[in-house]
Amino acid sequence: MSSRFFARGGDSDESSSDSEESLYSVEGEEPSEEEESSEEESEVEEDSDEDSSDEEGATGINRFLKSTAAKADEDESDEEKAVVIRSAKDKRIEELEGLIRLTENAIKIGDFIQGSTEFDKLVKLVPNIAKQLDGRTPKLFIKTLVDLEAAVTEAYEKQKVTPKKMNALNSKSLNAVRQKIRKLTKDEQYSKDVEAYRKDSEAFLKEEAVIEIPVPTKKTKVNLLLGDAIIDADDAGFEVVGPGGKTLIYTPESILKHLRSIAESRGRKGTDRNEQIRVMERLLDVAATDYQRIRVLLSLISVRFDTSTSSGGAMTVEQWKLADKEFVKLLELLYANQDQFIVIENAEEWEDDEKHPTLVAGTLFPIPGSIVGAAERLDDELTRSLLSIDPHTSDYVARLVDEGALYSALLRAQIYQERVRKQPGFEGQAERLNSLILRRLEHLHFRQGRLGSVLETNAWAELPEGLDSDVTPRALASDAEALVKALSNYLFAHSEGIQRARAMLHRTYWTALHDRPWEAKDLMLLSHLSETIPSFDIITQIHYNRTLVQVGLAFFRAGLIWESQTALQEICGSNRQKELLAQGVQVQRYSSLTPEQERAERARQLPFHCHINIELLEACYLVVSMLLEIPLLAQIGTAPDQKRRVISKAFRRLLDYSERSVFQGPPENTRDHILQASKALSAGDYKKSAELINSIKIWDLMPKALEIRTMLTEKIKTTGLETYLLTYAPFYSTVNLATLSEMFDLSPRSVSSIVARMISHEELAAALDQVSGAIIFRKGVNISRLQALSLTLSEKATVLIEANEKTLEQRTQGTANAFERQGGPGGRGRGRGRGRGGGPQNMGDRQGGQQRPRGQGFTGGALGRAIQS
Amino acid sequence: MADNQPDAAADLVAKYDLLPKMIPFLDRHLVYPLLSERDALPDITRTKFELLKHTNMTDFVGDLDSELQGLSERPAEYTKKREEVLRRRAQYEEDTSKLRSLLEDADVVSQLRSDKVANLAFLKEQHGVTLEMVNALYDYGQFEYSCGAYQSAAELLYQFRVLSTDNEKVSAATWGKLASEILSTEWEPTMEEIQKVKENIDTRLFSNALAQLHARTWLIHWSLFPFFNHDPAREVLTDLFFSPAYINTIQTLCPWILRYLTAAVITNRKLSRNSNVYQKQLKDLVRVIKQEGYEYADPLTDFVKALYIDFDFEEAQKKLGEAELILQHDFFLGSATKAFVEAARHLVSEMYCKIHQRIDIKDLSARLGLSQEAGEKWIVNLIRDTRVDAKIDYQAGTVVMNHPPQSVYQQVIERTKGGFFRTQVLSAAVAK
Repeated sequence: MSSRFFARGGDSDESSSDSEESLYSVEGEEPSEEEESSEEESEVEEDSDEDSSDEEGATGINRFLKSTAAKADEDESDEEKAVVIRSAKDKRIEELEGLIRLTENAIKIGDFIQGSTEFDKLVKLVPNIAKQLDGRTPKLFIKTLVDLEAAVTEAYEKQKVTPKKMNALNSKSLNAVRQKIRKLTKDEQYSKDVEAYRKDSEAFLKEEAVIEIPVPTKKTKVNLLLGDAIIDADDAGFEVVGPGGKTLIYTPESILKHLRSIAESRGRKGTDRNEQIRVMERLLDVAATDYQRIRVLLSLISVRFDTSTSSGGAMTVEQWKLADKEFVKLLELLYANQDQFIVIENAEEWEDDEKHPTLVAGTLFPIPGSIVGAAERLDDELTRSLLSIDPHTSDYVARLVDEGALYSALLRAQIYQERVRKQPGFEGQAERLNSLILRRLEHLHFRQGRLGSVLETNAWAELPEGLDSDVTPRALASDAEALVKALSNYLFAHSEGIQRARAMLHRTYWTALHDRPWEAKDLMLLSHLSETIPSFDIITQIHYNRTLVQVGLAFFRAGLIWESQTALQEICGSNRQKELLAQGVQVQRYSSLTPEQERAERARQLPFHCHINIELLEACYLVVSMLLEIPLLAQIGTAPDQKRRVISKAFRRLLDYSERSVFQGPPENTRDHILQASKALSAGDYKKSAELINSIKIWDLMPKALEIRTMLTEKIKTTGLETYLLTYAPFYSTVNLATLSEMFDLSPRSVSSIVARMISHEELAAALDQVSGAIIFRKGVNISRLQALSLTLSEKATVLIEANEKTLEQRTQGTANAFERQGGPGGRGRGRGRGRGGGPQNMGDRQGGQQRPRGQGFTGGALGRAIQS
Repeated sequence: MADNQPDAAADLVAKYDLLPKMIPFLDRHLVYPLLSERDALPDITRTKFELLKHTNMTDFVGDLDSELQGLSERPAEYTKKREEVLRRRAQYEEDTSKLRSLLEDADVVSQLRSDKVANLAFLKEQHGVTLEMVNALYDYGQFEYSCGAYQSAAELLYQFRVLSTDNEKVSAATWGKLASEILSTEWEPTMEEIQKVKENIDTRLFSNALAQLHARTWLIHWSLFPFFNHDPAREVLTDLFFSPAYINTIQTLCPWILRYLTAAVITNRKLSRNSNVYQKQLKDLVRVIKQEGYEYADPLTDFVKALYIDFDFEEAQKKLGEAELILQHDFFLGSATKAFVEAARHLVSEMYCKIHQRIDIKDLSARLGLSQEAGEKWIVNLIRDTRVDAKIDYQAGTVVMNHPPQSVYQQVIERTKGGFFRTQVLSAAVAK
């Protein structure tokens, strides 16, 4: 009840409350209505008490009314139905009269605040009464409306002339009342009556009296006729069914009527859904024609979906299975009657419940309903149910089996929708097909090829032989690769926005899962999603994250460390993997999530079988970070003037943390293993490092675990060599390549190629001596403090200039072109190329180095060169 | 073993044969010269016949057919076809004779201006030229091209372009003219046409990215003809291929063009005066090859990869040998083989010298695929040409490189070099 009052009090716009009221009132629990109205009266009473003494009459009536109402309540019993109804109705009318009086009085004395509130109450009451009068507006109200309009307009005009007289609040209320009245008189519902009243007020009111009388008697009759079975005479007489009435009611003729009443009670409070389902199951048995069956099935399925509440709880397994079965039955029916009926979303409803619609041969009869919607709902409910089950139990596995059934339902729906699309006049339905195809893709993309084709083949096996699909022909079932391509290509061609983006992501995910990282990367770049992804919805963003991670893992499996690190960095470096991948809600210490947000996040989660193993992911990420970071750290250690570059902050943090801890136990978890391996690696002990990394058990989860381990060992060897050279270079003047090759168990050829690369990229100040097969480290790299400082200074100056240029570019935006043209080709481009160029900018400069730079250095540097070129 | 050698070479060549990949992007007539290179192929005549069946070169096609069927003279149908072709030709001749004679008339031509619409109006008024006549020029041009009369086709299409205002046809005519010029090996006009086609693609297909991509792929393939046959074109075209739009096209649709790009960049070494440009091109090339490594690889790109990404000299040397073979058998690159090998050797030795301090001459010679004596000579030349700071130790048979460490002073100078100029530019820009 409280919610009703809440709605009433909070709602100042009466037009919207109309519908709300009627909705509530039809719900029709008589006792509560009574209760409510008496409460209302007491409220009215209070108001009037406050008001003034000359409203004694009204109060009196109310008091009297209340007592009668109370008496009626007490008297209420089964055999006196008619009396109850009558008194309730009369009571309402009395109440209405009381409110009208209050309003009129308030407006007369110029208290518009009071007037406004009373009027609001009045307006809300009217539809209630109108309902009891069989939908007619009480004449009294119309009369009041017209009278009030006159009064208010007068008051308004008066106020205009003498503006000082009224306080602000009051005048505001006056305006409000005036607006409301105006709106009401123009309102469709009342305008006719208002017109009639204005024309001939006498006749209008008289008419009312004549009509009003027979109504209750008629109702009484009806009630008597139906006897005990029906309690509420206002309704169609269905809501409560006594055991005796059943056989009488469920006839094929009345099916549609029942359906309508069920449809009307949908979403209302207090409806017993299970009861409705039982009723409809019976109706289905009774149904004589296919039309009726289709109609019953359509509403039965949707009522079944209603059994799950919006907040959390999923449908029960039984309900889901029944719904799935009925869905299949429905589609089979539609398939059997494919030249007669068609279920589409925006069809006109067949209004006449009594008659069976006449079918015109050759044309399709549209039935309102949504096949796609039902299929999607089945999918959603399954996901929700999976989310609510503990994934480590056998229940989960048992539930997961239903995915096959669901997938076949999706397939059926798709085939149905393809057929609809081909019908003349229903082409507009095409885009619904996209969402079905996307759903299928969602169920396929995370599966390995073989599993995908098993799912697909099973789904086809359940379908009748004759069915086939245009988009994904039956022949594709055994070839999951081609299937995914066909599905995603269809979406690329026929959809846009989110659907298209998701199709792209699923395709990429699939490609990455099947160890084609380059192709996946190309797809990713082709889609340009990395630029636009922030503008998509959260679910798509989650899919984007998943895909990105999957691409990173694919690179990892292929042994492409750098690429893998780049792809994984964004997600894994963030410390919020679980949240970003929707694989569990992370409890954060300072989380500022509202309960709603938390619930939404819970709803977004992916079911367990779609998850990407977080621990494996972390292991991969840390290992690739280690392989990149350790040589970098070694480099920074020996050359302090290097910019402090950080590749993976997360890894650095972990490393710092473990270095600070005083005691080091043997490694326990994956992370410990990797961190200790990193330490061993930076000390040049590649064997220990490789051993530690290889003893991580989680690699077994990867396909081809052995190859992964060999790959990692190889990578650790080369990284170890690089780290060793970078760390210990200052302490050697020559190193024999053969020794190195022995130390790191690498072939001499690969050692020399690694060393050559490092020399060429100027990571190592050294040269090879081919004759003796040694590396000769160059001396003279020690620089004095002053020199180091001056280097830093020059670096900073460059940074400053760059920052200035950037600022100017931003400031001038479009006009910056002029600036570009002047500075770009000459000084800037070259300056930058030099500063960063390093390795590849080889011989040419170096050889001439002795003569040229000096000359230029003193003749105005880049300016001179710019003029030259 | 001796027998195996050529077989292996042939296999290699066959493995990296690009012809099948390129044919879809070339015109019939353009494919013909590529095919005529390979008379050794078993069913070359059949291929040629299929290729040219739809052209109007009846005599030639007839010859091919008779050869296929083992007849001593052309089948009779070709005589009929030939007559038909001649008849149509005469018809076209007649249709366009008036306009052509007008355009050959110096007086008339001198009165034409750059405004096409005005020109057409002028011709219409003064000489009764109609739009149909102009269009007939186009058809005639196409017909001539199909007959193999490329020069006359080029001429006709040129005349058409001067007058027509139909953008669609003008662009088609430009493509036609480009093909005609290529086939009549007129490289100067070819380059002009390439430029025109390029502009056309950029402006007209601006909104249609896919069409743009396809048109660019075509242009890239067509321009291979002047690329290696016309020296001045090479630099222009290398720049064109490296421009973002075209390098993207190559990466997405036709990575095999990287072979030609690699060859062009490496052989450009001597041509380009500016070593900076060369370095930049090389850098770009290495980047692209690295990116596309998973999609396309042949000995040429592998050579670059071995040298600049893996620093594996042995591999580079092996690939250089293979690349030489490939080049010899490539229609476009055949003539550039020598230059390529020469330039590639330079690159190898440059890289080698950069990394090593002391080099055994014998070993280096082997790396470069030369005898010891030739290797020594080579090194001496290298030291002289590129001013490498090196000395030959004759007794030990080694070259000693001198890599002076970069002094701190120089480093500071290098870093601050641009500063003054950039600041000036900056202040000028602010003052504006």
